[in-house]
Amino acid sequence: MTLSTARPGLADSSTPPKVTYRVRRGKGRYTLTVLAFLLPSAIPLTLFVLGPMVAAAWISLQKWNLLAPMSFVGFDNYAKLLTDTTTRDVFLHTVYYIAGYLPLVYIGGLALALALNAALKGRAFLRGIYFLPVVTSWIVVALVWRWLLNPSNGIVNSTLAVFGIDGPGWWTDPVWAMPSIIIASAWKDLGFVMVILLAGLQAINPDMYEAAKIDGAGWWRRLVSVTLPLLSPSTFFVFVISLINGFQVFDQVYAMTGGGPNGASEVVVQQIYDLTFRYGAAGEASALSWILFIVILAITLIQVRGQKRWVNYE
Amino acid sequence: MKRNVIATVGMLGIAALALSACAAPAADEGPVTITYTNFISNDGNEDNLQTIVDAFEKENPDITVEVTTLPYGDYGTALQTDLAAGTVSDVFDIEFSNYASYQANGVLAPLTVANPEAYRQSLLEAYSTDGTSYALPSSFSDVVLYYNADLFDAAGVDYPTNDWTWADEKAAAEKLTNQAAGVWGDHQPISFYEYYKALAQNGGQFLNADKTAVAFNTPEGLAAAEWLVNKSGTVMPTIEQGQGTPDFDTNLFKDGKLAMLHTGIWVFGAVADVPFNWNIAVEPGNTVQASAVFSNAIGVSATSEHIAAATKWAEFLTSSDTMVQTRLDAGWELPPISDEAQLASYLDKGAPANRKAVFDSLDGIALPPVVAAGQAEMQDIMGQELVEAQAGRKTVQEALNSAEERINAVIGG
Amino acid sequence: MNSRMTGRALAGWILLHVVIVAGAIAMFFPFLWTVITSISPGVGLTVTPALIPENPSLDAYARLFAERPFGRVILNSFGLALVTTVVQLITSSTAAYAFSRLPFRGRGIVFAVYLATMMIPLQVLIVPLFVELKTFGLLNTYLGALLPTFASAFGIFLVRQAINQVPRDLDEAATLDGASHFRIFFSVIIPNIRPALATLTIFAFMGSWNSFLWPLVVLRKPELQTLPIALAGLQGQYTTEWDIIMAGSVVSILPMLALYIFAQKYVIQGVASSGIK
Repeated sequence: MTLSTARPGLADSSTPPKVTYRVRRGKGRYTLTVLAFLLPSAIPLTLFVLGPMVAAAWISLQKWNLLAPMSFVGFDNYAKLLTDTTTRDVFLHTVYYIAGYLPLVYIGGLALALALNAALKGRAFLRGIYFLPVVTSWIVVALVWRWLLNPSNGIVNSTLAVFGIDGPGWWTDPVWAMPSIIIASAWKDLGFVMVILLAGLQAINPDMYEAAKIDGAGWWRRLVSVTLPLLSPSTFFVFVISLINGFQVFDQVYAMTGGGPNGASEVVVQQIYDLTFRYGAAGEASALSWILFIVILAITLIQVRGQKRWVNYE
Repeated sequence: MKRNVIATVGMLGIAALALSACAAPAADEGPVTITYTNFISNDGNEDNLQTIVDAFEKENPDITVEVTTLPYGDYGTALQTDLAAGTVSDVFDIEFSNYASYQANGVLAPLTVANPEAYRQSLLEAYSTDGTSYALPSSFSDVVLYYNADLFDAAGVDYPTNDWTWADEKAAAEKLTNQAAGVWGDHQPISFYEYYKALAQNGGQFLNADKTAVAFNTPEGLAAAEWLVNKSGTVMPTIEQGQGTPDFDTNLFKDGKLAMLHTGIWVFGAVADVPFNWNIAVEPGNTVQASAVFSNAIGVSATSEHIAAATKWAEFLTSSDTMVQTRLDAGWELPPISDEAQLASYLDKGAPANRKAVFDSLDGIALPPVVAAGQAEMQDIMGQELVEAQAGRKTVQEALNSAEERINAVIGG
Repeated sequence: MNSRMTGRALAGWILLHVVIVAGAIAMFFPFLWTVITSISPGVGLTVTPALIPENPSLDAYARLFAERPFGRVILNSFGLALVTTVVQLITSSTAAYAFSRLPFRGRGIVFAVYLATMMIPLQVLIVPLFVELKTFGLLNTYLGALLPTFASAFGIFLVRQAINQVPRDLDEAATLDGASHFRIFFSVIIPNIRPALATLTIFAFMGSWNSFLWPLVVLRKPELQTLPIALAGLQGQYTTEWDIIMAGSVVSILPMLALYIFAQKYVIQGVASSGIK
């Protein structure tokens, strides 16, 4: 794999250690220490993720319908995918999803974490309530949202009608299908972001707030100059994970619109699933997965390189 | 390790080929255990399947059947993983829409059927290729016209009969529809499965003779598509009103807000207790009577080491008296057998009164068009394009043109 | 309420509560719907749910446990989730320590490769993974279901972020006292990242509890079945009984919610123990 470009960003992502650990210990012993900490995770990841990934790369060079023997076709699958308008469409829909989902879920989750971190009566109970959608299955969530967003008698359009607004066709309309999915997804995942950011908020030393208060900083000022910078490691985590997961969005699309109408909300992983198990094109599916992989990797590396500018450790 | 995986993956295909080449069944000496993976008993009929297994094992003390039951929705994923990895059961369930593809890829063993006369011939033939059976039908259901007799009485419209045509249905639907009261005259899904059938009812063909291109873009095909699409918003709710969401049509019917409903006989149980009179009739055709039949079937793996024993079980499961009795007693779909006398008890198992329509429908069967490669894609495209026309984003003709072009690109090779 | 609150602060306080409570109701609604549908026999889901069911009945729950071995199924899911969570807590925190505190050549690349394991959709790995487990003879075993879940890049990344926030002065002090890395890991790092570990507990458990595709293909025997697969089995080829589906849904949500409420306490306690209000 060509990961050499990853070098500077990732290696230096944390503050360089102030202590040189190797001083008096033998080099061999240090290596053993590193291995002892790494191997418990490295072995399963290599065997059960990297291995199958390499196998998928091999399959991506084959024509294979899972039923008959595979036959080697070189890079034909890639060539076909890269010239296919469906590939372009599913990537565009996926990027559209991320662009709408990420800001909504982050800002919403942050507001929620801040509110439920404050001294609020019954906050433990409220945190439980806000976490409910995270553990509820997409089948149920999709049914509820399809009902709320029903174009003719849903609550949302009925409310809009009170203000004289003619609501859109939501999931029945190719233009509004993806926004419908984005709204439902952000709503469902608010609790997820909240939990991560709540944990992040706990790591902030309250003395910092006190100092800012003494300096006469108001609520907004404290948020911008104390909370957000100190929360940046958690924010960075949320962004990286949300992007990785966002590119693999599937369940909600499947449950909300099934990719419709007429493919208007079809996303990359749905195409991968269909190609593998429904359209008898496992080779193409593997090729599409590797294209997706490279896109996600590239974006993650950009994020990691960019983090030095805004992520604050310690 | 990695190399191992790749090698294994590569080898599997070769192994599958080698095994399917020497399909000669090993002589069944001594006790054998065969495995059977199914979805048909999932969701309530597990015990009924066990009854059939017990009867088979009693009759064949040398053969033990090991059953695995999977959810219907994910059965295909699991089965294909097994086929890819060479871990498929000796006997497994298939659906008609997958038959062509599995047969063409050498997954299914050719079967020597001991008693082919036991089966309803149209169903047996559906699962044979060039005169050889590659799977045995295990059950069937058909689609009929349900009607709410109370709504018909209130509107002063005569009940549907087996002789109805589209024109009769349309006229009745228009009279029965009362949008102000939220009552709709008719409901028929706008989907691939309804379209191929409507096409047959209008004397058209979905595919050309050698299955390399579609043949529906004709005046008959256009009329069939318009028949479905034009119901939406006139006598049937639109997508925006909820049409097309799961169970929408059955619920509307159960609420007494729908006069006619095109759906399968599997809904009998769900509508059994409604507080109004209802019945069924054979679905109206236009120039021809044609009813959709859905059937499941049992295949024997080409890689099985016990093909003879497996075939024995497949045949028992699909044609034995035990099976017929068990299925009829449990109301577990209809057995695919030819002897209608055996099915007589089905006719007086309660509502609807006209259960005879279930068998009358079989006089004209329209089986779904199947292709060896691209089946699911073909169905997806057809459904999408019809919905485009239903939503008014395309004219019916534009939708057919687009469907023709896209499907031909998939199945034309 | 604080009597020294100014009018403006009071308005803000009220607004905050109104928004939070309104939001909570919106969040609670789908769950409420699920519960109501589960006790309304024969109700279809596309019908607008009546807030008070006409003939409430726990029939669906009774049938759920009578028709299927749900007790066994829940035990299977619970056992797998428990093992996954414990193992992931170990593999995540040790790896995170290495990525945060043990510099070595190529560490950046190794971390990138770890992250990369999250970037390929599972759908395409299923077949190769299945073939691999077959060669190991681990199909239809709990171990086969568990092994691929033993390490999670998500967990490692989560904990690494937390360790990066632990002040290095603490390690430094311990190192000067002659503490080894294992000592620092256990007595300095772990106590300081409890909120992150509690968070990981929630997500690792939830990931295993809800996982579908891999258990579906690797665990076929009925006695090995897990909850999501058993719930999928409640949906028929042609028809669906929503009350049973929703009863199953409630049964699967409640344990997760209980775990969440339990773990959240540790997120807060983690802070209390480090002497911060």
